[in-house]
Amino acid sequence: MSTQRLVRIRLAVAYVAIGVIVLTALILTQSFPNVALWAAFAVPFVYLEWRAVEVNDQLMASSTIMVALTGGTIFALEGSSAALGIATIAALGPLVPRDFRERRWFQPAVNFGQLVISAGSAGLALDLLIPSGIDPGAAGNIALVVGAASVAAIVYAVLNYGQVRTIVRLAFGRRDIRPWSGMAMILVSYLVMGVLGGFLGIVYGAVGFAVLPLILVVFVAGHYTFASYGELREAHEATLRGFIKALEAKDLYTRGHTERVAYFAQLIGEDLGFRGSRLERVRVAALIHDVGKLAVPRDLIRKRGRLTEEEYGDLQAHAHVVEDILAEVEFLRPMVEIASGHHSQFDGNGYGGSGHQHGQRPAMEARILAVADAFDAMTSTRSYRMALSQDYAFDELRRNAGTQFDPHVVESLARALARTGERYGSPGFTDEEQARRMAEGRTRGRN
Amino acid sequence: MGGTEPAPRSRLMDVMWAMAAAALFVLLLIEAPGELAGILVAVAALAGASQIMVPATSGNRLSLGFAVAAAVPLVMRTPGGAIDLVASGAVFVGGALVSWAIAVLRGEEAVISLAIALRRAVGAGVYAAILRYVAPTLGGWGLDPDAAELIGFTLGSVIWFLLEMFLWAFVTFGRRRISRRYLWLLAVKDWMVALSLLATGALFGFAYARVDLWAAVVVVAVPYAFAHLAFHRYQDARTTYWQTIRALSRIPEVAGLSPDGHGDRTSAMAVEVGQRLGLSPDEVEDIRFAAMMHDIGRVTLNEPNVIKMGFTEEDIARWGAEIIAESPYLDRIAHLVRQQHHPYRRPGEFKDLELPMASKVIKATSAYDHATTELGFSHLEALEVLHRGAAYDYDPDVVEALREIADANL
Repeated sequence: MSTQRLVRIRLAVAYVAIGVIVLTALILTQSFPNVALWAAFAVPFVYLEWRAVEVNDQLMASSTIMVALTGGTIFALEGSSAALGIATIAALGPLVPRDFRERRWFQPAVNFGQLVISAGSAGLALDLLIPSGIDPGAAGNIALVVGAASVAAIVYAVLNYGQVRTIVRLAFGRRDIRPWSGMAMILVSYLVMGVLGGFLGIVYGAVGFAVLPLILVVFVAGHYTFASYGELREAHEATLRGFIKALEAKDLYTRGHTERVAYFAQLIGEDLGFRGSRLERVRVAALIHDVGKLAVPRDLIRKRGRLTEEEYGDLQAHAHVVEDILAEVEFLRPMVEIASGHHSQFDGNGYGGSGHQHGQRPAMEARILAVADAFDAMTSTRSYRMALSQDYAFDELRRNAGTQFDPHVVESLARALARTGERYGSPGFTDEEQARRMAEGRTRGRN
Repeated sequence: MGGTEPAPRSRLMDVMWAMAAAALFVLLLIEAPGELAGILVAVAALAGASQIMVPATSGNRLSLGFAVAAAVPLVMRTPGGAIDLVASGAVFVGGALVSWAIAVLRGEEAVISLAIALRRAVGAGVYAAILRYVAPTLGGWGLDPDAAELIGFTLGSVIWFLLEMFLWAFVTFGRRRISRRYLWLLAVKDWMVALSLLATGALFGFAYARVDLWAAVVVVAVPYAFAHLAFHRYQDARTTYWQTIRALSRIPEVAGLSPDGHGDRTSAMAVEVGQRLGLSPDEVEDIRFAAMMHDIGRVTLNEPNVIKMGFTEEDIARWGAEIIAESPYLDRIAHLVRQQHHPYRRPGEFKDLELPMASKVIKATSAYDHATTELGFSHLEALEVLHRGAAYDYDPDVVEALREIADANL
């Protein structure tokens, strides 16, 4: 724990020092751009950076750098230093109110240094490739300027992404993160932004200052809407989570079950390499996997012992009605299907709604949900027995791997929990019978 | 909404209007000093872009035609560099005619779609005229010509946007029972989408005039595509959010703890009442959500101890608010649901000024729906219940608005 902290302090100090040195060197040797022009790019950049950090989206991050690159192209065309111009703009990026509110020091410090390095290098590329005083409207020069801006975008992307991944790997001990994996997509989006920055620089050169507000308005509007969209999605998931939590909170024994299953499903999904919308699908499917029970009369859920045939049918009917309602929400339809398949077995047995097809292997997402659900069921206390130990739960999952559960998914959960170092269940209970007797004894004693 | 549509007019009138517009188009085309091919390409671009819809913040849809129309005067210039009003006008009228023809082919109502198309052409014409005369005037005062053109564009587009929105609100007011204030605020909500459309068009115009076509296309296409995607995603997320809220609100209904469809009906009617009362679009949106969820607290009614102890209306409101407050984004809605059981005024007391209008609307609408469906009352009997409770249980203004809506919906 303390060695991690030491690593973080060292990294932060080193990056702040490097950032300050690079900035000082640039200020001493280079000519600063026109201040009004600089501010015209610095203000939107800072605004977009704030919004992007609040929502944390890669697409938005790449559009933010487009603003800086357009500025750099224009600085270089005007004969001042793009390196100094962009590096000073980028240095403002880490001044995010959210970090200050939450008293974070590491991210702003490291970001300051790495942004100065990445943006400064991109600016240098622009300075070297664009001769000052050329006519940007001439046919040959258009290709030159656009090419230079693309090179600068690539330089920025490689340095920025590589540094961020390396820092996360070092500072948070995430050995699974490799600096260059997943780079290809990012390069493409930055390249597009670079080409755009180049063209915008040319148009600015030909039209003049009047064109700047027009350029920025469209981007800020798009950006703002994207951020609102991100907030709305968060609100959607938070609402779903909140409602389900509130509804299940009424029952002491299933309280928190949904959220834990969602968490385990997410851990497994991440371990299996799920990302983006596929990971979201698993997480949301886990959130709604028991939603059918919310409409079932409570005494039926909490009934001890076996349900009668009639009661069981009643329970299933209620569960399916709620599933049908949720399936009307287009966004939730695939998740409802996964959720309704979570009682399917790996070998094709079991039962379930639309997501279950007898004799067929269920979808990967449903297999994940089955393991996460079973694991939490065993490691949490129920009305009829105490929580079992984590080791017992894994023995049980492994014993049924290949028939009821997917062996890969079981191992994936074991790996993920070993990595986080968390333990669930009560370590004392390694025997189901014992746990049942304890629960019965306890309630009998209370009554 | 029966009975609120305008009476159908004769086909002859449509044809005459269309012919007058076509004659104007031909006249402008002959007068225009620019190239004929250029005008026809611009007409095609305008009509094509008008078919691409952008979902705006208010839930209305603006067309990409705005962007093309904004670019037209900047592109259509006389050899001297001045804006060519005749050629621009020809493009606007021609674009309107082609859009109208497409709308009619799609089976839309002829008169209304012609009115919409011509309204757009008029707005764009006003914009072009402002751009044509304001920019040179400002330039004559010694302002930088680019800055003058930008100011002209800003002025022209703001007036154009307000004119378009005002006309939209005016026409819609004539057709539906909605307060002017609500419509006007709703229309102005779309300023950001409209601004990005207009700025996209102007950017194209400037880049095309000074650099070349391809530079203009790249400069405009990438940022606009980004914004367009964002607008669509936002709208989809809003729809999803609403659908999920609706689905969750139906849980007590399918569990048999609350009358089936009560949330849906109350929400739809409460929204109309809120619009009629002249609340702001944001308040109406809150009503929509809160009315949908106002009975979510009933999900607790199958709790063994609730069955044992019984419950009051206040309990249901409180339980519902507790469930809704679990989502950090729905604080306002939770507050409205908590307040919904409060009477407007208790005998011998002053009315409660703190009580939100939305809660009063939900209380009255829910009671009306309860009376007409659960109690099997007729429309008049249900209104009688509300009238008897007016000024005590229900706000008289709300009852009045509800009566108008209920009468119209009969």
